[in-house]
Parts: sequence; C-alpha cells; structure tokens
Amino acid sequence: MLFSILESFRSAMLSIYAHGLRSFLTTLGIVIGVASVIAVVSVTQGMSSFIGDTFASLGSNSLTIRSFTPFEDQMKGIRARLTPDDLQLIENRAEGIASITPVLNATRSSQIKYGSQTAFSQIMGTTYAYQDVSQSYTQVGRFLADSDNNTRRRVAVIGEKVRENLNLPENPVNEFVELGGEWFKIVGMLEQKGEMMGFSQDDLVLTPYATMQSLQGNQNKTDIAIQLSLSENAVVEDVVQQLTTLLRNAHDLSGEEDDDFVIQTAEQLMETFDTVINMVTIVIGGIVSISLLVGGIGIMNIMLVSVTERTREIGICKAIGAKRHHILLQFLIEALLLSLLGGLIGLVLGYGLGTLISNSIPGFPNASIPLWSVALALGFSGFVGVLFGILPAAKAANLDPIDALRYE
Amino acid sequence: MSLIKLSGITKHYAMGSQVVRALDGIDITVAKNDYLAFIGSSGSGKSTMLNILGCLDKPTTGEYYLNGKNVEGLNQNELSEIRNLEIGFIFQSFNLLPRATALGNVMQPLVYRNIGLKKRKEMALNSLKRVGLGDRTDHLPNQLSGGQRQRVAIARALVTHPSILLADEPTGNLDSKTTIEIMQLFDELHAEGHTLILVTHEDEIAHHCHRIIEMKDGRVYNDSTSHSAKVSH
Repeated sequence: MLFSILESFRSAMLSIYAHGLRSFLTTLGIVIGVASVIAVVSVTQGMSSFIGDTFASLGSNSLTIRSFTPFEDQMKGIRARLTPDDLQLIENRAEGIASITPVLNATRSSQIKYGSQTAFSQIMGTTYAYQDVSQSYTQVGRFLADSDNNTRRRVAVIGEKVRENLNLPENPVNEFVELGGEWFKIVGMLEQKGEMMGFSQDDLVLTPYATMQSLQGNQNKTDIAIQLSLSENAVVEDVVQQLTTLLRNAHDLSGEEDDDFVIQTAEQLMETFDTVINMVTIVIGGIVSISLLVGGIGIMNIMLVSVTERTREIGICKAIGAKRHHILLQFLIEALLLSLLGGLIGLVLGYGLGTLISNSIPGFPNASIPLWSVALALGFSGFVGVLFGILPAAKAANLDPIDALRYE
Repeated sequence: MSLIKLSGITKHYAMGSQVVRALDGIDITVAKNDYLAFIGSSGSGKSTMLNILGCLDKPTTGEYYLNGKNVEGLNQNELSEIRNLEIGFIFQSFNLLPRATALGNVMQPLVYRNIGLKKRKEMALNSLKRVGLGDRTDHLPNQLSGGQRQRVAIARALVTHPSILLADEPTGNLDSKTTIEIMQLFDELHAEGHTLILVTHEDEIAHHCHRIIEMKDGRVYNDSTSHSAKVSH
C-alpha cells in the first residue's frame, strides 16, 4: 500500500507538472482561500498579541470603577454617579488595595493652548497614586505630588503626544499651558507608551484632582472614576466582591436593582478585546472558508474532466494490471497534491498580504502567524482535496477496462 | 497440460430487446508455445474471444482455465492481477500512455507488482533492448514512429514475462515494411518459447502462425494446423 502511495505521488506530480497552467488555475481557488484565511488570522493575531503586551504593561492587577447608567435610565434623565464619598468609603473600608486614586475627566473643555497652538487632549484630574495604579512614570520633571492636590496647585503632567501637538520644547517643564481658561505650569512629562489600536496613549494631560474639582464647579454633579491597584496577595475576585457590596450599600440598592457602577479589571478589558478579535477572526474566517469550498469544487470539476480525458489511459492501466486502488489512489493523490500545493502557495501569499496590510497602516502591530493557523490551512486544504477528489477518483477506479479502452 | 482450456464458452449481450450471441459455445485448448491466429470477418466474435482470453471480459457461461487456474468467479481486482501476471497485451492502436516515455511505458506494469524503481528500470531496459529500442528509451510515444510504438508496446507486454502474449490486429495501423519487421519479431518470440495468440483479418499475418482458427457467428468454423507446426496437444 505504501508502495502504491509513493508511486501515485510520483505520477501525480508528473501529471500536475504536465498540465502546468491548468493545475495552477485549478488550485487558484484554494490559493485565494488559504491566502485570505492566513492574511486575516495573521493580522488579527498580531493585533491580539500586541494588545496582550500593552495590557500587561498597563498593570494587570489594577481595577477601574466607573458609574454606569443603563440606557433606559438615561432616557429618563437619571444619571448614576460615583462621588468623592464613594472614594472615601473605599479608601477607609476596603482591604487588599495597594494604592487608589480618583480620576476626574474634564467635562467643560478638553482644549489646551500653548502660545498660538491649540490642541485637544484627554484632560484628567487625579492624584499621586495614579502613577502606581496605571504604571505611568515621568520621563522628565516630576509627577503630581500630594501637596499639589492639597493646595490645588495649577500644575500639569503631560504626555509626549501633547508636547508634540503643541510644539512644546523638548523639555516642556516649566512651560505654561492654558486649560479651560486657566494657566497651568507643566511639571513633568510621562514616558512614552506608544499606540494601541491606532489610539495614542500619550495624548493626555494630568492635573491635580482637587484643582480639577474646583474648576468643575458644581460639586453635586461630580462623577468620578476610581482606579486602584491591588496589593500583592489580594485576589481580584474577592476585592471586586467586597467593592460591590460596599458600593451597593452606599448607593442604597435593594436586592433586585442592578449595580449602578461597573468594576473593570485590566484583564477583563483584555479579555473583551480578545473576544472581539476572536469573533472577527471566526466570522471572517468563516466567510473566507466558503472560498475554500468553492476552490474544492473547482478541483473536483477539473478532476472529473481529467478522468474523462484520461479514460483510455485508465483502460490501458487496467489492462496491464492496475487494480481499483491503484487508479483510486492516483487520482485522489493528484487532487490532494493539487490542493496542498494551493494551500502552501496561499500560505506564503497570505503571510505576505498580512505583512503588507499591517505595514501599510501606521501604528498597526506586526502580522504574526500562529502555528495552528498554518496547520489548519494546510489541513483544511488537504481535507478539501480528499473530499472533492473522492468522487472523480472513484469514478475513474470503477471504469470497466473494455469500455475505457474503447473510449475515443 | 494445456496452457489454455476453454469449454462451452458463451458470451451474450443484450442489445435492446435482442440478445446478441457474440460467442456461442467455444471449446478450445491452447498448448504452451503455441502460435495461434484467430481470423474471421468483423462480427465473427474474434475480438470478444480475445477479451475473454485476456481476462478483460467474463464469459456468460462456460469454463476458462488459464495455466490450470479457473478464472471464473474472480472479481475485477483478481482479474487485474491475472492480467498483470499471465498476460501481455499488444493492441492495434498501441495504447501507450501518452505522457510517459518509452521506458516509463514499459515500466508501468511492474508498478502494479510493487517492484522498486531501480529494478523496474533495469527490467524495462532489457525488454526494450530485446525489441531493438535500447536507444530510444527517453522518447515520448508521439516522438516515435508507428513501428517503434508497437515495439514499445511489445516490450511492455514482454517485461512481465507473461504466460501468453495476446495481440489484437498488431499490424493493423502499420505499413507493409513495418508489418514484416513486427511479424519477424513475433516469429522470434515464438522461437524463444513464448505463447502467442493473434487476432487478425489479414491472411498474410495469419500464415505466420502455426495454427489458424477461423471464426464465424461466434463459433469455431475451422481449426487448422499448418505443415510447419510444432504443436503438441
């Protein structure tokens, strides 16, 4: 049997080579199918591994608490809030927290001016602890200090992107920028973090929390986010449970009412991204695998033509002693080889395409091909070859030698 | 013991509502090293005869012993094996594989015997040399003349060392000069001890043979042994 298989490989390769152009066109469907699968997978996988790295650098043991208003309530004009009291409560009562900081987003204006330059950025009020929680450290100058907060000093720490947008000098420390009509002195600039999903992570301005609070005015409507990092031995699930209980009590939520806040972990966020990316991979992969199916049908079609065309040859082979399995294997292996060849070409093409895509979009992560997708692409194209080769091969093997010899 | 023994062979085809009796009770024995020609007009059943002798077709009734083995009741795969081991076919239209070289064509039957490439090449080369084509092994069939093609076909038939060589109008597509060459080759093969069975409608060809069986309407009409015959029944 092994001997027959090897011999069939030999004759299949001869046959594919003899009909070069036809073989290429036949397998083109598979080539395109596999190339698209690989391109899609390599791009999304590159993205996914990049996101994984980014989140790891964000500090994977940090939590963010935000207020959350269901859409129905928003329609009624109700807005859930997290207040400085909630922050106080958590600070006093929760266990397993290493550092905690409020984050207050500027609601009035995100405009920032320097000289004649104007830019828009994410402006946040926060405290010294933000540094630990979000793993952002200053590259030049200093971070916000507790004293800044206590005295509501008008100072700011900026990201690299902001410096660039505003044409600030290489070392922006001690320059003054205008935020919401007030002048702030720059005391530090953060280390560069790069881009994630095309969004710069360096486009932000941090000011002391209390300063931001005083600028916002109306204290009753303050809605803050709380970021915290866990102490070393703390279990994420336990802390989340504890925080939920604390906040539900503080917000007077009864048993049936839903939480009016969400607690996000960096891991959760990463999982969400991963889920989205996997969904995209699966959906596009599914669509693309239809083209593999079409490619398989193309192979079957040509193999059927080929069987008819070679009827006489099959008759000759049977007359000189070929058994059913000899003929069956010959055609089956030819189909298998055709689609595997297509799979290989598609693999190379797909990787090239993926690299091209990720290189042509600035800030896009590098394409990477996981081994499983190579195995899957080759396995699937091989499967398609066998699946669609069976019918023509069986047709050839079942030919009657006399009829086949008479065939003109 | 006779090499081939046919008794009561019939072959009936259903053509619409009619039954065609292509063979209608054939009893023949063929001895080893026989040199035999089936002659007859078209429709006399000689081609059907050859198909049955060559195990390409099964008789409707009757018994066929080849080399002491009953061929009846064998399935397609077993018949393939018999054809590979016992029979060498030579066809009117040569029936070479168009995409294989002369050598490749001659090696092909050995593939079905699971003989390795090196040994195959050696056997095929010997066989090609035997028919005088030792220098044309790498030519494709369409690069060869008719006579050369038929020699390749003969080499392919010989390479398996079959019990019988079956030739169906072997010179039907050849000119008279080549015909003489091919018939000389057949005479030599007979002299070497091969058993040859020919189907032809040319008397000249038939007269090379030592035994001529004339067929008519699916029956043996005349079975004659010529003077020079060395047939031992």
